Amino acid sequence: MAQVRIVHYINQFFGQIGGEEKADFRPELREGPVGPGLAFAQALGDEAEIAATVICGDSYFNENIESAKKEIIEMIRGCKPDALLAGPAFNAGRYGVACGAICEAVKKELGIPVLTGMYEENPGADMYKSAVYIVPTKNNAAGMRSAVKTMAPLLLKLARHEKIGASAQEGYMPNGIRVNFFEEERGSKRAVDMLLRKMAGKPFTTEFPMPDFDRVEPAPAVKDLSKARIALVTSGGIVPKGNPDHIESSSASKYGCYDITGVTDLTSETFETAHGGYDPVYANEDADRVLPVDVLREFAAEGKIGGLYEKFYTTVGNGTAVKSAKKFAEEIAADLRHANIDAIVLTST
Amino acid sequence: MKLELGYIDIRDIQFSTESKVENGVLYVNKQEIEAVALGQPHIKSAEAFLARPGESVRITPVKDVIEPRVKVEGPGGVFPGVISKVTTVGSGRTNVLRGAAVVTTGRVVGFQEGIIDMSGPGAEYTPFSKLYNLVLKMEPEDGLPQHEHEYALRMAGLKAAAYLGELARAVQPDETRVFETYSIPEGMKKMPDLPRVAYVMMLQSQGLMHDTYVYGVDAKRTLSTLINPTEVFDGAILSGNCVSACDKNTTYHHLNNPVIMDLFDRHGRDLNFVTVIITNENVYLADKERSSDWAAKLAELLGVDGVIISQEGFGNPDTDLIMNCKKIESKNIPTVIITDEYAGRDGASQSLADASPLATAVVTGGNANEVIVLPPLDTVIGDLAYVERIAGGFNGNIAPDGSITVELQAITGATNEMGFNRLSAR
Amino acid sequence: MRVFTNNPLVRQKLAGTCEVCYFDVSFLQLLTKVRDEVHKGCRLLTHPLSGSVKPNETPYKSVMLTRAQGAVDLQSLELIEAGIRAAEKFPVRYPQMPDSVRADFQLIDWTLLQSAL
Repeated sequence: MAQVRIVHYINQFFGQIGGEEKADFRPELREGPVGPGLAFAQALGDEAEIAATVICGDSYFNENIESAKKEIIEMIRGCKPDALLAGPAFNAGRYGVACGAICEAVKKELGIPVLTGMYEENPGADMYKSAVYIVPTKNNAAGMRSAVKTMAPLLLKLARHEKIGASAQEGYMPNGIRVNFFEEERGSKRAVDMLLRKMAGKPFTTEFPMPDFDRVEPAPAVKDLSKARIALVTSGGIVPKGNPDHIESSSASKYGCYDITGVTDLTSETFETAHGGYDPVYANEDADRVLPVDVLREFAAEGKIGGLYEKFYTTVGNGTAVKSAKKFAEEIAADLRHANIDAIVLTST
Repeated sequence: MKLELGYIDIRDIQFSTESKVENGVLYVNKQEIEAVALGQPHIKSAEAFLARPGESVRITPVKDVIEPRVKVEGPGGVFPGVISKVTTVGSGRTNVLRGAAVVTTGRVVGFQEGIIDMSGPGAEYTPFSKLYNLVLKMEPEDGLPQHEHEYALRMAGLKAAAYLGELARAVQPDETRVFETYSIPEGMKKMPDLPRVAYVMMLQSQGLMHDTYVYGVDAKRTLSTLINPTEVFDGAILSGNCVSACDKNTTYHHLNNPVIMDLFDRHGRDLNFVTVIITNENVYLADKERSSDWAAKLAELLGVDGVIISQEGFGNPDTDLIMNCKKIESKNIPTVIITDEYAGRDGASQSLADASPLATAVVTGGNANEVIVLPPLDTVIGDLAYVERIAGGFNGNIAPDGSITVELQAITGATNEMGFNRLSAR
Repeated sequence: MRVFTNNPLVRQKLAGTCEVCYFDVSFLQLLTKVRDEVHKGCRLLTHPLSGSVKPNETPYKSVMLTRAQGAVDLQSLELIEAGIRAAEKFPVRYPQMPDSVRADFQLIDWTLLQSAL
């Protein structure tokens, strides 16, 4: 079997350039393995070679994501590798994000298999584990040896385009894709073992984690609606015509806050939706259908509610990462708390 | 209650002029066993075939798989309330033709699936490829309504299994195992320090082709109740289920219930296996609430420290499973549930039709949507029309060489929800 | 009690006994109609995925539900939404189907419903 060519991505620290003071180190291509690459080269033996190493400072990457990605992809492309290895990043947050981002971009742009490793709580893990294979590691470099032990064989399999088994077999983080495999013991025996552990209060691992239930306790009821100042917040993408802040039609990276002082009705001339996940015709015709400014103005006039807050907040829910949505919500909630709002109507699509 | 199972290991099956068991070989008189099947009203034709492990044989559509057993000592007989009188079984001694089975095939409805491949990649997924099978292919009288057809096939299969089981009556077993459960106070006295465990067995009970029988009673007409685990070994629970081939519990699964076997393995050592709670999976939502309430109530009344819950079927039973789990967990009794998954061909979809954060311990029998290619085999027993023409043909999944592409859900027993197999998923 | 169905056999069997809302629509569309009723405050009486025949095998579905009773019943809503999600993930396997198979699917759907009557 032909030797497999690997390119390895590491940061300035593991590239022996320096610590935090060298974190702005610009991407550089070196021939052969560097630092942790030596351990990988040894584990891979004759079956693969680490042809080159890309070293990049964590600050440089995270502050220049788009240009850094482009620069690094071109370096890697020039090496004509069969696969990319990145990290492992252990618990280094910016390094983890860089490993994930580079892997995702190389997989997409160059169409070659990619593999990285990091600690499960590294923010890069949550962001990229469903996009690329990530092997969970210890939270510091003391875990290098065991990381190499899991990552090297998986990297070879990936590079040779062999069938990749289930996460539990291959050692990557569960990525939401369910893969069948044969266990050592039959299901009933596994169930008895699991029950004995569960009853004894010992740790056990479920074979199917239930979907995440992010339940929110309902807020206490508004006591007197006729005195309540109400704000509108939507994930339905309603924006002033022209979408001045360029909120993305999917996977939004931001939200907008717009003044509606004096606006009693959203019309097709003044508002539209930025949302790319539903048929926009009816929302564009009359944005009140998603963000009911007209009705709330009527209610305010009739005295049913105390008033409508003069700003509304909006983003696009379409494919937007839960993490981003949480961040938006925290900021919006802080703003609204500051503005002494009594209640919020949240509309979705 | 104490039952001895005398296992007679079957290492081959052959047609012969005399039906008998000798030196591990099951000899079957073809005419006699066909006559047994034909003795069942409304069966027009019956033909017996043999299928051995490793042979290039495909059996489809599979109706039921039944292990031949015979009651040698103690009250009652096998398949009580159906073949034998309703006398309570589960004590004394029962002989088992281990490694042999009766497989019934016949098309009750046009869309029936259920494939057993005796060799090739498909054989890895069904436990029945490892057995010496007596296959009965039966046709009903013309125009027989489906539910009478289902009944006729079910009864003929049980009678054939009882006929073969009778051959084991006087044979010296290769291995004898003793299974014993105690009354509640007795068990607590004998095993004061061991956690007490019950098994909640969910029985398919949604309607025609989706039924299970307990001592002859249709499970959908029952309230959740208790049954001794050894009663199950004598055929107190029988399958009338013909759909969802991969996760239906055949009569063979009930007779060899793996949860019961594995709980007995640890009984007296790591745990005290108290008893089995049976509960149904009805269509009517109020029935679901009632049945799961009662299952939880019985678990609480027994005062057990933990419960294993097994399931049968796709979709609707997920709701019963989650209700049972939630209600039992809410009584502070830890549970482990056994299920299978429908995560789509790419494995990316939500696996279950219902879920709860209380279901923290799940064992899975694998993703039933995973695709497998079954190469052509030399002999087909039964009728391939549906698999080829509909499951294969309409989807364009039949290759020029005759191999068919199906999801695992077409293979009998592939993703069993009692945990019969090693197949799993992550 | 009302029955929402796309199964002609159910319409025929239940004619004159209870309110049968028959629609000549797909399995998924029928579930969507049931969901609309749940939104109006109807409670489900039978499970929307009754039967273990896969939603991409059988074209037929019958669901029993109450008349509108005021507030939306959350359990019914969860069940019907989960049912729709499950049905959506199965691409229809047999767009064409012999009449005999069609008749069998109708019968199974009817007997599943009958078990709850």
